[in-house]
Amino acid sequence: MAATPTQDLPPKGGYAPVNFTRIPARSYFNGYQLFAGFGVVSAVACYMYYKTYSLVRREDIEMRSGRLAVEPLLLAERDREFLKQIRRNRDEEARLMANVEGWEVGTYHGERIYKTIPSERFIDPVINEYFAHGPSKAYTDNAFFSLFS
Amino acid sequence: MAAHIAPAFRTPMTDLVGSVMTHQTGSRCADFEMRAMECLEAYGVQRGRVRCVDYLDDLRECTFKIKQLARVSEMRVERHRQWLMGERSSEDHYAPPARSDAY
Repeated sequence: MAATPTQDLPPKGGYAPVNFTRIPARSYFNGYQLFAGFGVVSAVACYMYYKTYSLVRREDIEMRSGRLAVEPLLLAERDREFLKQIRRNRDEEARLMANVEGWEVGTYHGERIYKTIPSERFIDPVINEYFAHGPSKAYTDNAFFSLFS
Repeated sequence: MAAHIAPAFRTPMTDLVGSVMTHQTGSRCADFEMRAMECLEAYGVQRGRVRCVDYLDDLRECTFKIKQLARVSEMRVERHRQWLMGERSSEDHYAPPARSDAY
């Protein structure tokens, strides 16, 4: 062939030298400074945690003291309402069973409930007796609450 | 008593630790049960069934609340009967409901 084929050859004189020196990244802090920074931030955070934890403990104590102070009041109120309600139940029973023969209030057709207990002794009502004279919705809605709290 | 859960053989050890289900753990019927059991201990079971029948009946009543519940249902039946027969008006059918947090 007359024409010589073209080849991809390096330029005359060879390639220029390649610069392969390392360029390290710019470092702002060295290792000791980083550890020191960690220590400072941890110390500040520890102090803030201590202050907050003290506040939480103080609030817990205050809430607990308040609850302990109020609890006897609430129990007394509950007992008063209980006694009033069973009094109302007794009156309602007297009104309701006035015309039934042989019925005395507090007995079952004249029979006392307990034979060996003197009749002046207070007999604890069962939950059905407590809710006996209201609508049955009151019993079904509230019996679970009363029995388990 | 038929409902008593008792060991099959009675030895001093079972007398000591054999009472599994009793009312003695602060229940309302603890005193009833104690009186009944002391009476049965004094008379034995056979004579005790006759002599201590009052204590046993009271224990049964406390355990199952038979008369108290029967009273309640009698009263409710009477209330509904009075309403049906017209002796009680519809506004008066029930008393005001009891407060739920007071029982």
